Amino acid sequence: MSDDGQNFSVFNSRILVDTVGDVTDEALKASRMKEVIGVLAGRLFNWGQRKSLFPLHLGIKCCALEMAAAGASRFDAERFGVFFRSSPRQCDVLLVNGPISKKFADPITRLWEQMPEPKWCIAMGECAISGGPYFQSYNILEGVDTIIPVDVYIPGCPPRPEALIDGFGKLREKIIRIGAVPSEVRPMSEAPLILGDE
Amino acid sequence: MGKKISAAAQLKSAESLAAAISMIDGASAEVSTRSSGTQDRHTIKGSCTPASWRELAETLESKHGIDYCSMITGIHWPDAADKTWEVIYHLMRTGVTDPGHENGIVQPNITAAGSLKGGNVPLEIEISIALPDTRTPSVASVQDIWVGADWNEKETWDLVGIDFDGHERMRRVLNPHETPVGYHPLQKQHKLRYHGFEEMYDDVQGFRRKPADAGKVK
Amino acid sequence: MAEMWISMGPQHPMTHGLWTLKIKVDGETVIDTEPDLGYIHRGVEKICEARNFTQITTYCDRLCYASANTWSHAYIYATEDLLDVEVPERAEYIRLVAVEIQRIASHLMWLGAYGPDIGNLSIMVWCLREREMMMDLLQELGGSRLHYNFPRVGGVKRDLPHGFAHRARAKLTLFQDRIQEYEALFDESTIFLVRSQGVGYAKPEEMINAGVSGPNVRAAGVDYDIRWAHPYSVYSELDWAPAVERSSIKGADCYDRYRIRIEEMKESASMVLQALDKMPGGAETYHEPGDPKILAKAPSRAAEGTTGYHHFEDSRGESMFYIAGGGDGRGKMPYRVSIRSPMFITIPFAAKCMVGYKVADIPAIMGSFDPCIGETDR
Repeated sequence: MSDDGQNFSVFNSRILVDTVGDVTDEALKASRMKEVIGVLAGRLFNWGQRKSLFPLHLGIKCCALEMAAAGASRFDAERFGVFFRSSPRQCDVLLVNGPISKKFADPITRLWEQMPEPKWCIAMGECAISGGPYFQSYNILEGVDTIIPVDVYIPGCPPRPEALIDGFGKLREKIIRIGAVPSEVRPMSEAPLILGDE
Repeated sequence: MGKKISAAAQLKSAESLAAAISMIDGASAEVSTRSSGTQDRHTIKGSCTPASWRELAETLESKHGIDYCSMITGIHWPDAADKTWEVIYHLMRTGVTDPGHENGIVQPNITAAGSLKGGNVPLEIEISIALPDTRTPSVASVQDIWVGADWNEKETWDLVGIDFDGHERMRRVLNPHETPVGYHPLQKQHKLRYHGFEEMYDDVQGFRRKPADAGKVK
Repeated sequence: MAEMWISMGPQHPMTHGLWTLKIKVDGETVIDTEPDLGYIHRGVEKICEARNFTQITTYCDRLCYASANTWSHAYIYATEDLLDVEVPERAEYIRLVAVEIQRIASHLMWLGAYGPDIGNLSIMVWCLREREMMMDLLQELGGSRLHYNFPRVGGVKRDLPHGFAHRARAKLTLFQDRIQEYEALFDESTIFLVRSQGVGYAKPEEMINAGVSGPNVRAAGVDYDIRWAHPYSVYSELDWAPAVERSSIKGADCYDRYRIRIEEMKESASMVLQALDKMPGGAETYHEPGDPKILAKAPSRAAEGTTGYHHFEDSRGESMFYIAGGGDGRGKMPYRVSIRSPMFITIPFAAKCMVGYKVADIPAIMGSFDPCIGETDR
């Protein structure tokens, strides 16, 4: 019975959980099980992430129609685990499919920041890669990689839906290589893997 | 065969409208024949002083049935001799009357196109207003006559810089809202990025940079 | 009163493009709207001042990407008016085939996006399946799936390929049967009828004064179509009439705008079949690219002070290009290209149509006007 609110029970749940956790952690580290579990879990998470890439339901310009066609019945991206979600909080991939104007630079950065880690960005089409046919425009940024770190570039104007699906395949290969690291510490590749260049 | 306006009726209607416009002080119009692939069409090409534009617009809408404002083009002519700014109004007469209705259901009146004449013939009209050299060009707004002119005027101001007197709620529509005041991209002193980019390259297709710029990307 | 502004967009699954619709709501009822465009404003009008006439065609395809052929043809007719070029008749027939197949593809894309707005997700895959059929035909003509760059000043890029007429006839006849399945899917669906009938009334006289044209206006009983009112191309040689809907006196609702596009698809299919039958020289003859029967010689320079413009019946309304000649390339490049987009005018009008309805009606109303933001923002 205390009148200052302090709980004298040694086995209250919070302390119990912390104690058990610390003891287990030490035991696992000592027996090297922690590394094994870490590797297995990492592999499992990596497999789960790359096999179910959820892009954001964002259609900027013409490449969005090819994205829609890739999701339709002829090319069917959904059999690869690609399923479009409307809210950025539920997505893994930001598929940028059009030119970024000065007005849209702020919203797309916000969408990128709202996406939880791990996340990747695919630049689809010429406009997202370098400004495309509008490279001279006063209102279009020269590529989305001026504001967002891009992982896969898919050239084409617009790229065929098969190219988009292949782009997702390249992203899956990249995820195997680099694992699921946060984008700030992701190593920038010296030699980018260009689609169609094998 | 398919419906088509009779070209003779169009020509006659265009001539009478051109004559009516020319009777207004400060305005003049003539029939111009434009080509359209395999056929010709008769349109009206008019011009007007800024002072008489409002009167002309009201007359066109009330007396001649010009019910549709298609587009407003603003052009900056810094090097032309007689004008520095030009505003072109593209108007049309659709020539369709309101469909009648019966028991609350509209009965569409399918127009017998070949027999339209007079004030019912669809026409294309182009009125151009030349403005002299001034830092703040402006023309009377026709937002209350044709609602379709509303956003066209906003766009012309946003891109070219021609203001419209009497336009309510003028704002930037295509450029971002934070664009600096006085920046209107379609004016000729603003150049495109990489203006003259052909001079960057040594060959016609743009693969090799000039020898002095070898190794540069941009 | 609990009034507040909600911003729908720019990233929103409903908006058919990249724009923001700010709505002021009182509970669930919409009391005011304000559209906010410009998220893909590319300055095409300015870029066109630094391109020659053939190069601008590629930009015009990308204006409204759902309906690329209609925009490049609208531009080419304006250029031919500027340069005063007479087009051979066979080229006009080929252009008509391309434009009308593109109109079908554009309406299919609309229907495929409209169904999910209302809640019917099956129609999306059905319509995109048919659209793939139409895009295959257009790919044979133009070479690419989405941006064809098909017309040239004075004619077309190339003739109908071998066997195209046979494949087009087979696909369009199949399409004319399939479209009845779509009608059945929607007309027998109570949810669709409840969500689209009596919603979003738009009166014809307000629409004409506001600059709305095309299927949106024909849905209200007004028989106005640029293809007969300001005739161009060879539409008058074919036996056709624009589809006009019977609406109520309150105006056209979403259901009327849906029905008019179904009727337009049927009309376009029949126009293409007629055009393939009536083509001068026969649909099976093939002329090499550059043959005078399909491409007339056109000047590449426009004299100073000349202008050209053309009103064109696009899938969404009346589109127009105004070109003033004689620019920096001393005639090879235009001085000013001004583009009229039907959706730029229709979107503010459609935003006003939403006042008084519930928030859940917004996708139905907005989608029924068929917005395409590529042409709106230019």
